[in-house]
Amino acid sequence: MPQQVNIYKPLMAKLTRVIDESPLIKTFVLQPEKEFTFKTGQFIELSADGIGEAPFTPSSSPLVKDMLEVTVMKTGYVTAHMHNMKPGEYMGIRGPFGRGYPVEKFNDKEVLILGGGCGFAPIRSLLYNLIAIKENLRKVTLCYGSKTPEDCIYKPYIEELRRIPKFEVLRSVDKADSSWNERVGVVTILLDDVKADIKNSVAVVCGPPVMMKYGTLKLLQMGYPEHDIYLSMEKNMSCGLGKCGHCMMGDYFVCKDGPVFTYDEIKDHPNIWN
Amino acid sequence: MFNIFMCVYLTLMNSYYSIKRESWESGIIRLTSSYNVFAVVDNGYSFDYEMVDNRNISSIVYNKPKPSTPLKTFFLPVRENVTSETISEKARIIIGPPNCDVEALSILDEIYLDKSFEDVFYRNRRDNTIIISSDCFEIQDHCHCISYNINPYSTSKADVAVILRNDQILLRVISEKGDEFVKNRLDAVPLTDRSEIASVENRQHETVEVLRRTGKGLPDYKTTGSLVKRADETIWKKYSSRCVSCGACTAICPTCTCFLLIDKPGFHKVKQLDACQYPGFERVAGGEDALGDLPQRFRNRYMCKYVWKPSKFKGIACTGCGRCIEACIGKINKNELFRELAK
Repeated sequence: MPQQVNIYKPLMAKLTRVIDESPLIKTFVLQPEKEFTFKTGQFIELSADGIGEAPFTPSSSPLVKDMLEVTVMKTGYVTAHMHNMKPGEYMGIRGPFGRGYPVEKFNDKEVLILGGGCGFAPIRSLLYNLIAIKENLRKVTLCYGSKTPEDCIYKPYIEELRRIPKFEVLRSVDKADSSWNERVGVVTILLDDVKADIKNSVAVVCGPPVMMKYGTLKLLQMGYPEHDIYLSMEKNMSCGLGKCGHCMMGDYFVCKDGPVFTYDEIKDHPNIWN
Repeated sequence: MFNIFMCVYLTLMNSYYSIKRESWESGIIRLTSSYNVFAVVDNGYSFDYEMVDNRNISSIVYNKPKPSTPLKTFFLPVRENVTSETISEKARIIIGPPNCDVEALSILDEIYLDKSFEDVFYRNRRDNTIIISSDCFEIQDHCHCISYNINPYSTSKADVAVILRNDQILLRVISEKGDEFVKNRLDAVPLTDRSEIASVENRQHETVEVLRRTGKGLPDYKTTGSLVKRADETIWKKYSSRCVSCGACTAICPTCTCFLLIDKPGFHKVKQLDACQYPGFERVAGGEDALGDLPQRFRNRYMCKYVWKPSKFKGIACTGCGRCIEACIGKINKNELFRELAK
């Protein structure tokens, strides 16, 4: 009789480093006890022992198999506890779950990425993947918005990205200070600066629901086809297995059928933006 | 291959066995040494499952609807540690679930035996359980299985069906597991008297006719989905005005199995029955809650059962058992709601 796999049991991962990204956001560098692979855009359930678990999309490269980075914003009970964790402690990982970004479909395309706040986490993983296949891509434009310059995450990474040919980074903040010399306003204003060959483009959107909504509407106005706009949906994914029911969005289980959907797949479903 | 399978299946389907009630009861008591045997028992104020022993064996209820507890609780406990080692539980025999409950297992199987993510706890329980369904020859006020294309007697999903006729127990073999059980574990003999079988079939047809009469005007499984889909918010506001979000309808529903994973020290996960009718069921850490409004939440349950589940699985996620109507403290009657939608 084959050994039965227990789908609820987490894999242990040692916390090796904690990076402060912003006052509310930290990146946890984890070393899983076994090789752990995922496709960019897939998510994991990360648990703090005895406290709880929550869904996160890894922010590290899907090509790295012995290390995993997860960027966590402090928003509630579980994430507040995680923010107090120190290197050497253990976290639990279940997954990877769901359908990630179909990067193979981005070949010979321009990729426009619209991100906001902690929505940069899945995007950074995607960018690592796109850098690895950049020869196949026409261009990658990242439009990233945050509330203030202090809230901008992955600052050293942004600088690296700007040095890579074919990659362009546009940033905005809602409220600037004297250190800021990029755009000021909601992230969608960055789309006014984008020159895209829309027929040969795909767009990726990830961020808070309100940004996802208005970002998508603007991309549609710009002429991006509904099936070329990829959205990473946030729902209350609990089991990750399409069983517990918490993330149902119409007849989709976001955990299993998503979390990445094209806009045309979900546009007729209820409550997609909340 | 298909034909061989069908031949075996049809041969099993046609097999009736007979055993004296006395021998059946002593046989069941004998089996309690190797199985945990549960049966629907008349406990004086309701019909519900009890573990069978000498004291209650004669109180087993045959051919009457329906135990208070749905069959799902045998396979999905309200609360269990799903990170503990999977212990092999004692094999079980469950006597008396009506076919509406047995058919509900089709939905549960699709969710929990899903090839990509199989739940080992559910799998082990399904494998080590023999289900002896009871043909319904009576109905209760809110029974309406027929409207949803489910017969009040089992012919496919259970292992065996049981019928009490005078002092005889008749057993209809349904599955291979049931065939093996009846032939090797009981002193039953093949029933050759065609008139006895005809009489059982007669009772089955009579029950169907009664259900047809009482379910008149109730939309059937072909139309429930479109009715729910096009219902406007006035209907959800009206019916949810008496809802207190207690979740009784989901707890008692044979097909509702949504759950929550609760973390315990040692990276243990406790899986606990949850309900989309509880506030906060879909709330995310950022505060957004797609089901924050009561009428939305109320509607969600109907959409899930009659629109979304059928688009994903084999059929609607309602077997017409009527328990949600009986359990509702706000006296919300889903059959009234459907009759109103169908007007």
